[in-house]
Amino acid sequence: MHTTDAEKQDQEILELLKDYPMPDATAGFYDQALARATHEGTRRQRNRWVMTGFGSALAAGIVLWLLGGLFLTAPDIPQPDPTIPGIAMTLEEPRTVNLVFASKAALDNATLTVTLPAGIELAGFPGQREITWQTSLDEGRNLLPLELIALTPVGGEVLARLEHDNRGRTFRLRIEVS
Amino acid sequence: MSSEEHKATFEKLVQPHFERLWRLAFRLTGRRPEAEDLFQELLIKAYQKLDDLVAIEKPGPWLSRVMYNLFIDERRRFARRRMHTVDEGFLPDGGFEGMAGDSDPVRDNERLDKLKQLDLALSQLSEEHRIIVILHDTEGYKLEEIHKLIGIPVGTVKSRLHRARARLREILTIGGTFS
Repeated sequence: MHTTDAEKQDQEILELLKDYPMPDATAGFYDQALARATHEGTRRQRNRWVMTGFGSALAAGIVLWLLGGLFLTAPDIPQPDPTIPGIAMTLEEPRTVNLVFASKAALDNATLTVTLPAGIELAGFPGQREITWQTSLDEGRNLLPLELIALTPVGGEVLARLEHDNRGRTFRLRIEVS
Repeated sequence: MSSEEHKATFEKLVQPHFERLWRLAFRLTGRRPEAEDLFQELLIKAYQKLDDLVAIEKPGPWLSRVMYNLFIDERRRFARRRMHTVDEGFLPDGGFEGMAGDSDPVRDNERLDKLKQLDLALSQLSEEHRIIVILHDTEGYKLEEIHKLIGIPVGTVKSRLHRARARLREILTIGGTFS
């Protein structure tokens, strides 16, 4: 029985796949991960309880605002700062904004917090005004695409704060909605 | 149970699976920083579900499945907003240059070139094909294990594996790796 070229190639691909490189975890990573997990896991469970309470308080706050709104004038509209970079958005039309972070060195476990003004949402996070996640930056330019949606015509400022090793930097972006 | 006892129980349950979980994290994400994030998120989630974990007879497959689900959730939620380098390449960190070869430098170089071509070809596969072919052919997962991990029927795993290999061969042939 002949071995066809395709079979030979498949065999070679299989051998290459078996050699496909796999780096070990860095020294101390497992211990750090364990320590963070027990610390962070406890903190998040605590926060879940706090959020439940906060959610009730927020719901109550909205009711109060609505009642107050019947008798008061329109809420203050924040005045945008014209000196910071800005973009124009159309109401209820998603728009992707690319933030570029330049880093002199690779950074692991940086924390990025995006804070949104009322009426602007990040796609996939309905109703959340502050979203935090861990990320890593490579040396050079790092791109962060944010898909934003304007739900009210008010606009405001998006803040993106990057923190690493107790150092941080905040980026501001002005949103105007038409 | 005190907080210290919680931690000790947790460590005892998860530590034996670290190496396999690290490999899975790296194979799923293809990059060290993302693999570390995923591994970390898994441990945080597992610690929050310690009561469930204690009751499970085989924590390994359970942890792998939670990791895979976290990976998929992460992909869905952050695919468009994760930070990545502008000139991002797919090469796994650690690279290929550091690989131990045998004593024949010419053969080593040829093999290294082929591995680089393979890496490029893998990056051109769809994610579902890439994951299945790497788990099966590189990591040695059985079809049944992949079925349990990913949650698709064994027959589908098999057909995807077949298609992924065929596509790899096609890409490598077009790229000149095979004549």
